[in-house]
Amino acid sequence: MNRVTRWRLAMRLLARDWRAGELRILGAAIVIAVAASTAIGFFTDRLGRGMINQSADFLGADLVLESPRPVRTQWLAEARDTGLRTSETLEFSSVLVVGDRLQLASVRAVDAGFPLRGRLRTAAGPFLTDAEDVTTPAAGEAWAAPRLLTRLGLNSGDTLAVGKQSLVIAKVLTFEPGEAGSPFGLAPRLLMNLADVPATGVVQPGSRLTYHYLFAGSEQDIARYRGWLKSRLGPSHRLVGVQEGRRAVGTALERAERFLGLAVMAAIVLAGVAIAMAARRYSERHFDMSAMLRCLGATQRDLLELYLAQLLVLGLLASAAGCLLGWLAQQGLLVLLADLLPMAPSAPRAWPLLAGLFTGLVVLAGFALPPVLRLKRVPPLRVLRRDLSPLPGNAWLVYGAAVTAVVLLMWRYTDNAKLTLAALAGGAAALVVLGVLGFVLLALGRRLHTRVGVAWRFGLNNLWRRRRTSVSQILAFGLALMAMAVIALVRSDLLTTWESQLPVDVPNHFAINILPDQVEAVRGFMDAREVPTTQIYPMVRGRLVSINDEPVRQAVTKEAQSDNALNRELNFTWTTELQEDNRIVNGRWWRSGDSGRPLVSVESKLAERLGIELDDELGFTVGDERFSARVASIRSVQWDSFRPNFYMVFPPAVIERFPATYMTSFYLPPGDKPMLIELVRNYPALTVLEMDLIIAQVERIFRQVTLAVEYVLLFVLLAGFAVLFAALQASLDERLYEGALLRALGASRRQLRSGHLAEFITLGALAGLVAAIGTECIAWVLYSQVLHFDYSFKWPVWVAAPLLGAVLIGAAGYRGTRPVVERSPALLLREG
Amino acid sequence: MVAASGLSKRVATAAGPLDILADIDLQIHAGEAVAIVGVSGSGKSTLLGLLAGLDLPSSGDVRLAGHHMNALDEDGRAQVRGELVGFVFQSFQLLSGLTALENVMLPLELANTSAPRLQATGLLERVGLAERLTHYPKQLSGGEQQRVAIARAFSMQPAILFADEPTGNLDSSTGETIIDLLFELNHEHHATLVLVTHDEALAGRCERRIRLEAGRVVEPDGTA
Repeated sequence: MNRVTRWRLAMRLLARDWRAGELRILGAAIVIAVAASTAIGFFTDRLGRGMINQSADFLGADLVLESPRPVRTQWLAEARDTGLRTSETLEFSSVLVVGDRLQLASVRAVDAGFPLRGRLRTAAGPFLTDAEDVTTPAAGEAWAAPRLLTRLGLNSGDTLAVGKQSLVIAKVLTFEPGEAGSPFGLAPRLLMNLADVPATGVVQPGSRLTYHYLFAGSEQDIARYRGWLKSRLGPSHRLVGVQEGRRAVGTALERAERFLGLAVMAAIVLAGVAIAMAARRYSERHFDMSAMLRCLGATQRDLLELYLAQLLVLGLLASAAGCLLGWLAQQGLLVLLADLLPMAPSAPRAWPLLAGLFTGLVVLAGFALPPVLRLKRVPPLRVLRRDLSPLPGNAWLVYGAAVTAVVLLMWRYTDNAKLTLAALAGGAAALVVLGVLGFVLLALGRRLHTRVGVAWRFGLNNLWRRRRTSVSQILAFGLALMAMAVIALVRSDLLTTWESQLPVDVPNHFAINILPDQVEAVRGFMDAREVPTTQIYPMVRGRLVSINDEPVRQAVTKEAQSDNALNRELNFTWTTELQEDNRIVNGRWWRSGDSGRPLVSVESKLAERLGIELDDELGFTVGDERFSARVASIRSVQWDSFRPNFYMVFPPAVIERFPATYMTSFYLPPGDKPMLIELVRNYPALTVLEMDLIIAQVERIFRQVTLAVEYVLLFVLLAGFAVLFAALQASLDERLYEGALLRALGASRRQLRSGHLAEFITLGALAGLVAAIGTECIAWVLYSQVLHFDYSFKWPVWVAAPLLGAVLIGAAGYRGTRPVVERSPALLLREG
Repeated sequence: MVAASGLSKRVATAAGPLDILADIDLQIHAGEAVAIVGVSGSGKSTLLGLLAGLDLPSSGDVRLAGHHMNALDEDGRAQVRGELVGFVFQSFQLLSGLTALENVMLPLELANTSAPRLQATGLLERVGLAERLTHYPKQLSGGEQQRVAIARAFSMQPAILFADEPTGNLDSSTGETIIDLLFELNHEHHATLVLVTHDEALAGRCERRIRLEAGRVVEPDGTA
């Protein structure tokens, strides 16, 4: 047979098998695997490129120096001498008031050179088409983010006030290069001119400010300047280059990508199981044909090519359909997350399609090739003796190919050998444990079969007889249901926990940046309006730099070196009274004579992470000044009480010499919000954090992200259905024959249908039970070890998962076995 | 044309080795029509499988038109079958995914002959199925399916035709028509016919019969 003939024949057979429905499951399973893979591929690629490739544009410079205070002018002079262009910006939070509305804005004051890299984008009004803008806000002007304008009910041309300074909204800001650290920024941006800052009155000693010094120039000049600057940096300075910026953005995305990658892998493995089952049936149904072809003179090579051609074409067609579906799905994912994304994603590229095709072919090769390879070994004598079948595939080959395919794909998704191995080992362990569990449940179910009616007995017997496929189906659905249950559970518990933590009398607003000379006035303001406030605490910002005279990074464990507390300024305070929600767990609180003594009380979790113990000598810096204090107590803090709380608490008269601002928290019912406007107008430097709004926003983000994850898990569920239908199809011939026999013996259609229903309801309920047990275990670990929630028995899962499993699988199985009663028993028995 | 010497087939069973065929010697000449007869389990089909090169003997030798079948590998035997042998089976063995025409074209295509469609159409017309070219096997009656199988068997102008109980799945009147057709075509193509049957009447239409009993030839050269 020449190649053209072989291919022509292959395509004819493929078309015929397709029309006869022989290849539907195989095709559908490939489509699911490829769609899941392509969707996530597109999604992460578009976002990743959007965020990472524009890193320099995002940074607005080649190098950025961040500092809470202005740096020495000499540093900037040196940069200009090195041949670099420079620009300076100042960032702070401010509550903007317009009429009776107020909104926390993240204000950035810029000079005329900003940005050095990338371009601002502006529009004439909110939601109008934007364009690149090479200018910056002129003095007296402000550019506002669309969200800010809608919240405040403003439009371009209107006026707003930052502190004491009125500014005209000249343009709508749609994109701004800057540090791309927080994709989910909470406060909308207002851009203003640096020259207007003094008039606002916002900048006061102790205010929370962030200065950014931007540098741009040739790579060598940047490197030279970086080297010069590095040795001069203090602990409160942070230097961000394109590399660091890219890394910061990349890490968050990488984590998301890995997590989604694992979900996709689960879908692919399940789809693989379905493919293997379907391919096995395909192979077995082609034994006769292969024997006949051998009889007619076809060589083994002819057969191999004949089937491989079919497999290849099927794989390519199904993968193409999967790619299309994946593309649609990622559009859905982008719509679902549209509010959260910091920017428009980049245009889609072709490579996720190629990766999707690759996934489809690898899965097909790993799971379908071994059974199909058997076909070339069919003995020609089978034409005379139908009982002759080719030897089963070598188990090493069968499982080896599947495991190779999984490892290959998983490695591609996680790009991390350790994670791949861990996920594989974890997955295998989970499969074994859940598999044994499924088997035990099945055995228990079987014990019931003497106590139930004939239909249930028939169903339970069927499950037990095909126990290997039954367990694999219980596993497939159990895993899918479990993943979805865990996500749903964590979401609802996190949300109710947040909500329950905001009972009516708990503070829901923070007032920070209260200037020392305004403390009494603010207190009076609150008292006059009968707003209950917590105590007003002074707040000094400084860094922990040493433990027992050893630089802090060397003193702590390797894991703690990346602790956030070492990379930023901490809030210090002093007080005589221990805060209401704090508890001394070690050491003692201040006594009357402690005032002025260099002592400090450390928050217990921070102490634990950094290995700080009682009587350790801690070194601090505030501004450029160093001082030290001995740990007199370790204090536990209830952070979620929404009261001012601090890592480091000193006795009075230790850090009072440093510039401080004050903070407090208070409860305001929603109807009293207008009071905030008055407060901010009277004290422009003061910043109000509306915790209720922030929590609402965090909730919204969380809801959307978990929704996106569940959306991806849908693919896992779909793959579970592919396994179910593959298993059904594999057993269909046997079921048809048995059904015909039973009907010939007098069983009614109704009895047969009830039996099928009983079988699949039981299967679904058992899968749900496995899911519930798994969910309970995962939830326990998650709640007690990671989220630190009170753990309670998750009884709704125990009801919902088996019920959902029974309904879904019962319906699908009932539908799938319909041919058993539809075909004529006489015909079936004659054919069988 | 077909020669076997010292042919044995032994299989391992749970109760120890079992001789299905023992020490068979036979010669079938070109153009001859020979029936292999015997009761169920006497080894008829096994002998057919060995003679046609579908299986290998435990010992002994089969020569098919001069080819030592034992000396060839599976693909070599497939090639000999493709070039020299035609088959007709009790269960028709048509490929369900192909139409009647495509089933007949298949061996022609496997051998890369020119104009397979034309030849196949001619053969199907010859067996009386001109109106059934595009029907799938499931859409044909048993007799029609066996006609397609006969057309397929003769498509390659085989030197030898092996037929295994060709009427076993047909009613007697259809069976008779099919046998008439088989003999007619065999005659037209001057093919050697080796026919396995337990139907003595059918065997009677052959020039010679070889009777098997418990795996041995009991009537090597006898005529009916």
